[in-house]
Amino acid sequence: MDQIGVVETQYLQFDGLRLESGGYLGPLIVAYETYGKFNDKKNNAVLVLHALSGDAHAAGLDENGRTGWWDGMIGPGKGIDTNKYFVICSNCLGGCKGTTGPTSINPDTGAAYGRSFPLITIGDMVNVQAMLVEKLGISKLHTVIGGSMGGMQALDWACRYSDKLESAVVIAATARLSPQGIAFNWVGRNAIRSDPVIPVNHSDSTTGDAKSGRGLAVARMIGHITYLSEETMQAKFGRKRTLRDMDGTTYSLGENEGLGGEFEIESYLQHKGSSFMERFDEDSYIIITKAIDYFDLVRQYGDMVSAFENITAKMFVISFTSDWLYPTSMSMAIVRALQAAKKHVSFVEVDLPYGHDSFLVPQGMPTLTRIVRGFLKGV
Amino acid sequence: MSDQVLEIRTPFHEFEVGFNVIIDLITPSTRVLDLGCGSGTLLARLRDEKDVEGCGVELDQEKVIRCTERGIRVMTLDLDHGLEGFPDLSYEYVVLSRTLQQIINPERLVREMLRVGSKCIIAFPNFAQWKIALRYLLTGRTPIVKTFPHPWYNTPDIHRVTISDFRHFIHDIGGRIEKEIFIIKDTPGTNISWPNGRAEWGCFQISAQ
Repeated sequence: MDQIGVVETQYLQFDGLRLESGGYLGPLIVAYETYGKFNDKKNNAVLVLHALSGDAHAAGLDENGRTGWWDGMIGPGKGIDTNKYFVICSNCLGGCKGTTGPTSINPDTGAAYGRSFPLITIGDMVNVQAMLVEKLGISKLHTVIGGSMGGMQALDWACRYSDKLESAVVIAATARLSPQGIAFNWVGRNAIRSDPVIPVNHSDSTTGDAKSGRGLAVARMIGHITYLSEETMQAKFGRKRTLRDMDGTTYSLGENEGLGGEFEIESYLQHKGSSFMERFDEDSYIIITKAIDYFDLVRQYGDMVSAFENITAKMFVISFTSDWLYPTSMSMAIVRALQAAKKHVSFVEVDLPYGHDSFLVPQGMPTLTRIVRGFLKGV
Repeated sequence: MSDQVLEIRTPFHEFEVGFNVIIDLITPSTRVLDLGCGSGTLLARLRDEKDVEGCGVELDQEKVIRCTERGIRVMTLDLDHGLEGFPDLSYEYVVLSRTLQQIINPERLVREMLRVGSKCIIAFPNFAQWKIALRYLLTGRTPIVKTFPHPWYNTPDIHRVTISDFRHFIHDIGGRIEKEIFIIKDTPGTNISWPNGRAEWGCFQISAQ
């Protein structure tokens, strides 16, 4: 077998979940996919955690032929080798890709939660993942691994369920988001809020109320700028003009939707925003970015060393030289606290030019593959 | 003639004699921090031969990845930034093998090593070895030799340190020299006469007073 092939998303239902805020959310549906097979002892499970806009479809092809978001990393012979490991990826709580979130029906009202969806935390997402892992009959995971928000979850897993994992790989993450990160998320949510209410997603009956998407598209564009590096933008787009830039007397403000502006970077962002609008829900975006903003192990435990006190897993922290959203200094703060708590920690700063997105782009995959494969083998 | 390289320095991973000397110094089943660990050759041997729990520090990405692939615990850190984050006395041994002469501020790093490790093992090439010294004197130019294989204007070996220098340095920073091993023509020895003029390499085990 050298390809994963077509994968079907599976669903599990749970009664519900006591949220960290105190409220109760139920019933609860979790969308997940698995790749590879259990070994006899069921100790070869790897839990993959997605970032803000990801979903359960991490590898292989879905029924529409769409490739998973980390297909370069997961598969037979790849960094997370499905010939060796049983790989699980679930859509996070609050998401809009099958797991309970704002687009789900609130049983009390019979309508979608929408903006009434309760505030959730990274810890709530992790608790839901733990419920799934338990239901799958896994007593101890070989590894939890994730980047960005997924890295926050991996870190939270290690603190919260120290006896349920052998190791954690924390990629391009932080124990507490910087004010700069919160600022960008605020602007994103503000774009959504400032959106004029125009129904755009007619086909989506669950949204009920009129919803529009351009605010979400703007939020995504801002996000995309923060995920790239100046170097990548320069190399990929430079100051190149699009074909529409013909007479030099007219300009576009993006009113032409998919067409974009006069510079290629403008059209790229326009395209990214528009396609995101099609596939994501704005209330999910709000609720997930809030969870990211509130994630703060220092506030939660008093200080980072205390947060890490109970960790028994082997920790592997990875940062990227060109990541200015979750810079190396934030990974170093995690590493230093783990060292101070006398934990088993490895740290690699990977020299890749692709910014925060370095762990997702195909060009970065050969390097990251060697690192992840090496670490998983050594656990 | 003076520009001719006498002998090529043994590649790092083939520095068997030096590694053997270091491995002999280390008590089994201890924790060892190897600074400038390269591809993890020493730590892999320590793990296999002495059941050592090792951790390496290395800046070069390819070498860091090699360490990971060999199952060696490693950190991407710049030794010129010190050892901040490593708790006091968190390792039985801190090893600095063939890297001392490349550190911008050796005093700061060695003080840090003494803070982090109960014992420190430092191996470095000796610039006072008589062939080098004589060449220096006769030609008036910085020699390019086996132990210092690059021209002065483009070399990672920014310090031309001697065994005598090192003894004084450890005394000055209040450290204690516990063991001295000298390597002459690939043969290690402890009680040799005039090591400063004869040894190609010095290997010291030091501790805080």
